[in-house]
Amino acid sequence: MIAKIVCYALSGLEGVPVEVETDVNKGVPSYDMVGLPDTAVKESKERVRSALKNSGLLFPMNRITINFAPADIRKEGASFDLAVAISLLKASEQLLGAETGDTVFLGELALSGDLRPINGLLPILISAKGHGFTRFIIPAGNEKEARFLGGAEIYPARTLSDVVKHLVGTCPILPLETAEFAPHAAGKTSADLKFVKGQPMARRALEIAVAGGHNLLLSGPPGTGKTMLARCLPTVMPDLTFDEALEITKIHSVAGVLGEEGIVSERPFRTPHHTATTVSMCGGGNKVVHPGEISLAHGGVLFLDELPEYKRSTLEAMRQPLEDGKITVSRAGGTFTFPARFMLCASMNPCPCGNYGSSERTCSCTPAEIRRYRKKISGPLLDRIDLQVEVDDIRYDELTSSEEQEDSAVVKARVDAARRIQHARFREYGIGTNAEMGEREIAAFCTLTKEGDDILRAAFERMHLSARARSRIIKVARTIADLDASADIQPKHVFEAVSYRIYDKIG
Amino acid sequence: MSGSYIAEERAYLWLCACTDTDLHEKTALLRAAGSPLKLFENAEEIFPAVLQNGAERLQGGYHVREEAIEKHIAHLEERGYFAVMPFSDDYPESLRQISSPPLVLYGAGNRALLAKRKFCVVGSRITPAWAEKLGRDLAAELAEKFAVVTGLAEGGDAAAIAGALPSGNLIVVLPCGLDECYPAAHASLKQKIAERGLLLSELPPAECAKKYSFHARNRILAGLAEGVLVLSAAKRSGTLITANCALDFGRDVFALPHNVGAAHGEGCNDLIRKGAFLVTQAEDILSVYGMEPAVRETAELTEEERRVLAVLRERGEAHLAELAGRADLRVFEASAILSSLEIKGLAVKSGGNKYSAV
Repeated sequence: MIAKIVCYALSGLEGVPVEVETDVNKGVPSYDMVGLPDTAVKESKERVRSALKNSGLLFPMNRITINFAPADIRKEGASFDLAVAISLLKASEQLLGAETGDTVFLGELALSGDLRPINGLLPILISAKGHGFTRFIIPAGNEKEARFLGGAEIYPARTLSDVVKHLVGTCPILPLETAEFAPHAAGKTSADLKFVKGQPMARRALEIAVAGGHNLLLSGPPGTGKTMLARCLPTVMPDLTFDEALEITKIHSVAGVLGEEGIVSERPFRTPHHTATTVSMCGGGNKVVHPGEISLAHGGVLFLDELPEYKRSTLEAMRQPLEDGKITVSRAGGTFTFPARFMLCASMNPCPCGNYGSSERTCSCTPAEIRRYRKKISGPLLDRIDLQVEVDDIRYDELTSSEEQEDSAVVKARVDAARRIQHARFREYGIGTNAEMGEREIAAFCTLTKEGDDILRAAFERMHLSARARSRIIKVARTIADLDASADIQPKHVFEAVSYRIYDKIG
Repeated sequence: MSGSYIAEERAYLWLCACTDTDLHEKTALLRAAGSPLKLFENAEEIFPAVLQNGAERLQGGYHVREEAIEKHIAHLEERGYFAVMPFSDDYPESLRQISSPPLVLYGAGNRALLAKRKFCVVGSRITPAWAEKLGRDLAAELAEKFAVVTGLAEGGDAAAIAGALPSGNLIVVLPCGLDECYPAAHASLKQKIAERGLLLSELPPAECAKKYSFHARNRILAGLAEGVLVLSAAKRSGTLITANCALDFGRDVFALPHNVGAAHGEGCNDLIRKGAFLVTQAEDILSVYGMEPAVRETAELTEEERRVLAVLRERGEAHLAELAGRADLRVFEASAILSSLEIKGLAVKSGGNKYSAV
């Protein structure tokens, strides 16, 4: 008898349906797999054999052929185990009367017959639902992730025998209830702006950066709280919408970094180490293509601590995704596109010894050393960082005691208001934030008064600003005006925007 | 045979560029021969008489000397360099007065600047932002009356160059030959100076900078100028060599006052203690030479800008948060106003969110 069971393989962020066909014939006992299975899939033979035996089921001592269709795509990983086991049972007539035609089986088997969770479940469910499948049997370990799909019958199973009992109807499993998405599950991170002492400039820059979706560079001596400031970024960013959360969860699920909660409810904050390779940063891999750090930071923050220490080629590779919001990785196995719309936050010391501009320690670097250090970051990359701000190295508690240390919620409220203005403005332009404006939008929404234009011209002459800084300054000025709820860009907004271009003044 | 140099000049250039002798030996040779031309023609007798191993050090005969000098002059002409010798009309008079005047000055650019009154502005490589800004403004004002003389280093020298270059009244003396550039990062700047101002060097064009050539260059800086302004100098700074040379040569020395305890300013404060003129504005220098400063136009300021500027002047260098607190403004408002003051040239930002008035 021939049995057909549907399961799914992953290709990038998409699920591809795979039919597992099993034929059990009379003859010399043998067990063959065809249809381009890789080593992990072939090894399912032994897992399935033991799992069947230990679940009190029979492994047929016949001539068994298993085919994975379509035969031209490579099948990887252990997520086919359950489908292989079920099709084997069906072909050996141990599942008489069970309806399996429109059900998708997903899961890895342990030798004991337990079902183990798999990576990339959510993207598979979403793709399969798109292909018209509405009934799924999944490992109980993936239950939380699957809860958010909705509009499908999803049965979480603990063991292979649970699945068998469910299929033959002796002990049906209850379908999962759809969970309500609650963004920003509180208390997950301990970061909050109220714990940041002083740093008025950096706080303000943080607020502007998030409000307009601008990239941010924090420069300051070591140990001044650059990382702490950066960690506060996700706490003032707007809440995730369900669609955004699903998209981020898909990426995290494929990469296997999904947390306990099963869905990403908080904006990601990724901090790759400076030894990271281009592939780990941008995505890639030998056969299976994995999303890189920039995709894992999609919808959130990519924090690069000690920016000049990163490999130049790695940083340069990020330039194009920074513009496009996605990365396309081409490998022999195919071309995959991962979303990568993230906010870049970088930190660096002002000079090699770290004390330039410090009031307590003296800098021992020569101008040539400082220039060489800063040159490690290419102009084009710096060009994509709209806000550059210095972090103070001394506590200004006594100076700023009059100013209340706001917490993240207060700042977030202002950011949300500024974002609403931007959404209304860009509704017909297909962009969401000021940072994404092109020349066309700048011309439409960022007309400067004569006075504002004069300021910019004077700034260019006096402060030796680079030509490419112009549109950056205008965009930031637009965001500052939005935070001010001002319809036009006023001179003071331009002045403030100019003060965030500290690195343009250097060659 | 190139026609632009007369026989005596050619002989002189040969001695300076084509022989393996130092300044003392050259002077001794000249004294023994009586004139460069005689030295050139009778080198075979004079060299062994004056120098140790004189015969070996003078290799080849008259024709070899002729050939070497031809090649040297061809190189100068190809690059557009000129050479000035003590007996040339435009050899700076002030240099003739110093104890060891350079035998030859190679130059590229505006030769007419040699005849102008000259004033030297120098500073060490580590110069605080306010001193750079002030140095730039002073150099710009001085350039209206003088040719500003300085070196090609970063920091103080670069500030003087930035101030004086637009007017073209700028003489930069290199520690290496005119073909070379030290520091290499200033190659394009050097090119601009050659186009608008004047580059000078006492070394043959292909010579590299040596450790001792900076010392020798500083003596030319001080020698050329009527006075020397030191923007910044640590306790032991190469800039002080220029100041000391200036004192030896009887030039006026000027210095910017620095904060007590600021390492990069101790040398300046020392100079003032010893009697150098204290400089905070161009008038302080110009009045010494009986000159009137040009009337500076004052920028129009808003009420808030005036308030912030007043606080800034009162506090000296101060952190943004402190300024905002004292001017009763939000920090980002103060930051915008300070940007405006910076653009108007009244304030300058140094590292660590600190500002000072200029």
